[in-house]
Amino acid sequence: MAAVLAGFVLFSLFVGTLPTAAALALCVLAGGALAVFGHHSHGGVLVIDVYARRSRYFAWSPALKTGGCVLLLVLCVASPSPWVPLALALIMAFLTVWGGIRFHDYLALLSLPAAFLLLSGLALLWDYVPVMDGVAAIPLWNGWLVVTAAAQVRARLVMARALGAMSCLYFLSLSTTMPEILSVLRRAHVPSVMTELAVLIYRYLFVLLSAYETMQDAAASRLGYSTFARSIRTTGAVYGNLLAASFRRAGACFDAMESRCYDGEIRFLEREKPVTLPAALLFGGLLAGTAVCMMTGGG
Amino acid sequence: MEELLRFEHVSFAYEDGAERRLALRDCSVSIGAGERIAVLGSNGAGKSTFFLLANGVLCPKEGAVFFHGEPVGRKKQELNRLRRGVGLVFQDPDVQILGGTVEEEISFGPMNLGLPRQEVRRRMDSAVERMRLEDLRQRAPQYLSGGEKKRVSIADALAMEPELLLMDEPAASLDPENCLRLEETLDVLGEQGLALAVATHDVDFAWRWARRILVFRDGCLAADRTPEEIFSDTALLDDCHLARPMLFRAAGAMGLRPRPRTMEEFERAVSGRQGGETV
Repeated sequence: MAAVLAGFVLFSLFVGTLPTAAALALCVLAGGALAVFGHHSHGGVLVIDVYARRSRYFAWSPALKTGGCVLLLVLCVASPSPWVPLALALIMAFLTVWGGIRFHDYLALLSLPAAFLLLSGLALLWDYVPVMDGVAAIPLWNGWLVVTAAAQVRARLVMARALGAMSCLYFLSLSTTMPEILSVLRRAHVPSVMTELAVLIYRYLFVLLSAYETMQDAAASRLGYSTFARSIRTTGAVYGNLLAASFRRAGACFDAMESRCYDGEIRFLEREKPVTLPAALLFGGLLAGTAVCMMTGGG
Repeated sequence: MEELLRFEHVSFAYEDGAERRLALRDCSVSIGAGERIAVLGSNGAGKSTFFLLANGVLCPKEGAVFFHGEPVGRKKQELNRLRRGVGLVFQDPDVQILGGTVEEEISFGPMNLGLPRQEVRRRMDSAVERMRLEDLRQRAPQYLSGGEKKRVSIADALAMEPELLLMDEPAASLDPENCLRLEETLDVLGEQGLALAVATHDVDFAWRWARRILVFRDGCLAADRTPEEIFSDTALLDDCHLARPMLFRAAGAMGLRPRPRTMEEFERAVSGRQGGETV
């Protein structure tokens, strides 16, 4: 499904500008890659933290990584040409994979936001007009579904920016654990209500997910998903119970925090991770390079 | 023996909607420094409520809790004094775990006390060492095994440097090997002078380890005596649905006095007697 979508969006992006054969080859290639690598069989969100701990950038200063990635992301989004974000996306992807993540896993993780990206690309590219005017068109009802050259340019830019931004965020989240990012945000004087909420949400994601999986397994073992109608009913019951269970759970967790003198602010002792020369050089170089490219070539 | 904690006519009720259920009724008890106490009773008898009150998470509806002879009110400062002096290890470690790494997790309590960084680090290191968590320092506690999580949750409480440590069914969902390790840990902590109160359903463990037993039934403190007295009281045991420990029964059947607490003591007593008979 995602593979077909990717192929179609890529075809729409480049039809008319590239020879048709090249556009077709490109979309078959991308579709094939997605079909092979695109399914993520692991625990989804939960593995990100595991990867982060394994990454060779894990020992780098989280403040530097967060700051650097956010700045790169801003540059990406502000870039007037699609080439800078695209190049940055490739560099960041390469760096992330080099950090100790298998290429296959990286693509699998990327497929999640890629679906959103492709769907919005579709909406950006195709337009419904009464008069046929564009590089590709499908007759529909009394008018045409068309792709115009202007829409192609706009969609290419938007998608390149999104891809670049995504790869920056992935570099950050695959090398820095959530608690570290949150502590950086706290030190950057982001309101504590927000960081505290994020800590709790992050923490209880695990709790809720494991409760949900247990309930689902228990229901499945009693044939709760044997027919379609039954599985809908079971899903409703599981969700309902999940609410009750999470309320109880939240109470117990709060008690446990109170018992350790919780005073409304969640603080941990963090390992000192000073800014190191290679990390500073890498981010300095990337930022300077991007900025220069944008000013000279891209502008 | 110096008194640490005293309950005077403490009652507590959970508010479950319209229903008001007394979870603890008129409980008076005193716990001294360095004691080894087992807390017995069926599910819902009031053990956990007793612990939550003793740790200052819950406040009594009636009666009063005293820590080092001073009454503990509802003020945050007073409650925190109690929470600092009395550690609580919850039955389910997942409820307790909050940090991203084992180190962070253990540092949560000391950080809440507002201690300087070096002191937090010292306490964390000492808790890590006491619970043998050296190899797990940088691991994510969510992904640890059950026994490891239990050790982390005990280290959490130890980092507060309490004088009394309460454990709510610590052996629940641990495998036999981890249970054994837990008991060794309890022995070591006891030798270091920490007062311990352990809620359990394992009467054999209670007999082997405890020097004093509290029995709860329907929210009341039904008995507070030595293990010897508790397990000799057939009426009480029947009333509270408690079995007698295996060794206690075996020693009773063989007429051994004093009754041996461990298998080793039992074997020694038996072989000693047989030796005596053959001579």
